[in-house]
Amino acid sequence: MDKLILALPKGRVLQDSVTLLTEAGLKLSLSEDDRALTHDSEDVRILVMRNADVPTYVELGVADAGIVGKDVLLESGKTIYEPVDLNISHCRMSLIRPIGATREMRRVASKFPNVTQDFLRKVGSSAEVIKLSGNVELACLTGLADAVVDIVQTGSTLKANRLEEVEVIFYSSARFVVNRAALKLKAARLRPLIATLRTLAKAS
Amino acid sequence: MFSAPEGTRFVLPPEARQRAQLVEKLQKLYDSWGYARVDTPMLEPYAPSHPRAEQSFKLSDRDSGVLSLRSDFTTALSAMVETYFSQEKEPMRFQYAGHLLLAIKNPDLARTREFTQLGLELIGVSNARADAELIHLARESVRAVGLTPRVELGNPGFVQVLFDLAEIPKSQQNSLADAIDRKDEATLESLLTTFSLPHDLYKVLKAVPDLYGGVDILAEAKKLTPWPEARAKLERIEAVLAEFEDDSELLIDLGMARRLSYYTGITFRAYTYDFGQPLLGGGRYDGALMPYAAGFGIGLERLLSALPQKGARTVAEVITLEDIPARALRNAGIWVERALSTDVSEVKAYAKKKGILYLLSEEGLEPLGDKTVPAEYLRLLEAQDG
Repeated sequence: MDKLILALPKGRVLQDSVTLLTEAGLKLSLSEDDRALTHDSEDVRILVMRNADVPTYVELGVADAGIVGKDVLLESGKTIYEPVDLNISHCRMSLIRPIGATREMRRVASKFPNVTQDFLRKVGSSAEVIKLSGNVELACLTGLADAVVDIVQTGSTLKANRLEEVEVIFYSSARFVVNRAALKLKAARLRPLIATLRTLAKAS
Repeated sequence: MFSAPEGTRFVLPPEARQRAQLVEKLQKLYDSWGYARVDTPMLEPYAPSHPRAEQSFKLSDRDSGVLSLRSDFTTALSAMVETYFSQEKEPMRFQYAGHLLLAIKNPDLARTREFTQLGLELIGVSNARADAELIHLARESVRAVGLTPRVELGNPGFVQVLFDLAEIPKSQQNSLADAIDRKDEATLESLLTTFSLPHDLYKVLKAVPDLYGGVDILAEAKKLTPWPEARAKLERIEAVLAEFEDDSELLIDLGMARRLSYYTGITFRAYTYDFGQPLLGGGRYDGALMPYAAGFGIGLERLLSALPQKGARTVAEVITLEDIPARALRNAGIWVERALSTDVSEVKAYAKKKGILYLLSEEGLEPLGDKTVPAEYLRLLEAQDG
């Protein structure tokens, strides 16, 4: 039988994902070597990558399925199936400004330029989007931008830096995503897996 | 230094030849079914109503008109039909092959800005037999290039009818259709709960993304569908299936819900094993551009990437010092390079360095490396002498 190829994001979500998939009945084994990029068990191969790359691997069918945050998926703009909300890695995408800021937004910084652009278009703002790679809140503190769009989990970073969430753009959680051809051609394996994951996600 | 604009590329040997051969294979298949070849201008008058108006490259003409570069064949063909075949009463079959350009952001492997598309249109008829002809040809196209086809059918009309029955406001239909098409259960569920739907409609709309699989999925769908308007859409798929002697390798997905206002009838896609993207896609779009029309398009670049990499030759097989005997080999399709020197040892040294296998000289055909000359080649030369 062909191996099922799964794209999983490295970091904290990897362990959660493996636990969940094991609970769903897949026989997985992560090798001891934490430099390994692929992990093989009898009928599953895991590819470990940056979360932003998961949609690309799944869209092109290099991986049959994967796990990725809705935030990253929306930013990627890829058209892949997302049949299960795994109900883990909850966060929200928010518009963040210095506390009390009222000035019209001219520049908005974000690691998620596409999501930001879409949001600005919806609210009718003509602000310019600046793509940054990390610690985007710094842009607000230094005046590089007068707002940022970023992931908020607890909000403690914001408080510590005298910033506030002005608006929640959307709520995000991890999704089980599937390549369009694989869902149909490997249905015998993926259909039951999807059904089990749905049950597990709803129970948790 | 020159660099090709993002999302475009030079096509080099041996790929350019492989592409031309693929195109020819498919064109011949379509010729044999009576699809007449046509071509359309690369420059089109810019029309804001064009389905790809936003994505097309625009340029200004000298007399201040705006032009756009061809971004879609079907729209171009419908303009052709309107101009030259508006009086035609009988069904028409056309095929096309050529370049399209799209001014898309962030082009990547799956989306280049310049690409080659081949396709068919069957115009002026709308019935299951016409749908089946296109689906059959979609299958044959994949077979013609040496791959195993799995064709999947859907009918976006089914989802549209359910929306109408559920009285979903037009403004909400797009996001709902998008969630169905992405099989995004979570979003679909949260959207559906915002309408107060009768239980049976809620149930079928929630189930529709999962109504995919073999042909037996239609029976399951019918159980959830008491409404005659919706059943008619399922029956159209059944009527198409009935045209096939063996429908066991066809797939069904009733959750196909892209471009609902464009595709009004059967839609289909062809997949092949171990390749993650559809090789072709199409469907029936009665009323969108022409009263009755259906067709499909194949992206040549995608088809090429699905094919196993064959070791196509990048250098000649034979180098020749003799023009007349070389004709026999060339007529048989063998790549024979003409030596640009008459000094035999110089030619030999050059040919060995390049990896050319055989030398044709006054002495006849001789091997340059350890590969012996195929008997067939010698026969071709002898036949010419006789």
